[in-house]
Amino acid sequence: MRWATRAGVHIDRAACAWLIRTHIDPDAEFLFVDDRTAVPADATPFDMRGAELGHHRGDCSFETILRRYELHDPVLWKIAEIVHEADLADERYDAPEGPGFDVILRGLSMTCDDERVIALSGPLFDGLYEYQRRTVLLNRTPG
Amino acid sequence: MDRVQDTGQWVLLSYRIPREPSQPRIAVWRKLERLGVARLGDGLIALPAGDRTREQLDWVAEEVVDNGGTAMIWIASPGDLAQEQAVVDGMRTARAAEYRAVIEQAATVPADEAEGTRLVRRLRGELRRITDRDYFPPPERETARIAVQDLAERHITVGERA
Repeated sequence: MRWATRAGVHIDRAACAWLIRTHIDPDAEFLFVDDRTAVPADATPFDMRGAELGHHRGDCSFETILRRYELHDPVLWKIAEIVHEADLADERYDAPEGPGFDVILRGLSMTCDDERVIALSGPLFDGLYEYQRRTVLLNRTPG
Repeated sequence: MDRVQDTGQWVLLSYRIPREPSQPRIAVWRKLERLGVARLGDGLIALPAGDRTREQLDWVAEEVVDNGGTAMIWIASPGDLAQEQAVVDGMRTARAAEYRAVIEQAATVPADEAEGTRLVRRLRGELRRITDRDYFPPPERETARIAVQDLAERHITVGERA
């Protein structure tokens, strides 16, 4: 399937792309567009104004996708809290990792194009998933 | 063209949101306060244009539409420099007042170390939130940063700093 989002990828879009590829569509192909009218008819838009998979009811796009695809994995919801705080910093959650992720992704977007940001941030989210998975399993900070 | 200096680019949000129910209207108002917007008129606000500010206002616009209102995003430049300067001055003055509130609280003497730690943590959070919406930093910004750092050094034992 084809998926479209705004060019100039940052935390929420990078996390959504990782989520789509790892949990929804392993063969996902991503398009980066400058304007929402540029989304092709066969592509599913995400993290764009007017898209179902965007910010709604105070949720960031990552949370919206989790709800829409009924992904109930508690590890993904823990990551959602971090992405939410990195993206919106509205203190809905206690996620001190958020500001750090915000800086890392902003820096990457300054030196890399969108394809590369997605490629580089993938392993970062894989690692974050594993860390949070162990946290949930052990019920404490993993060593 | 004999213009002395160019004005900057701004991102504007023009919006209307139903008066009732009041909860979503107040939520939007709070969000705009947290972003430190300049209020240009009834239902018209501005931030200096940038990727981050554009995106923040895009999502506020989406929230307005989701709650039965209408919203449009514009990229604009002020008609003249004096106009822009007045908006910038207004934003800088608003932030300066917020920094002064932090400076005042940093001057209080906490009863004990635990209270000092809590105060430092709270003021650092406050400083970060103000700095995030501070587009035209006033001198009070550095003063506030130093005041909070001083408080930390006076009241928190090395090794236990918040």
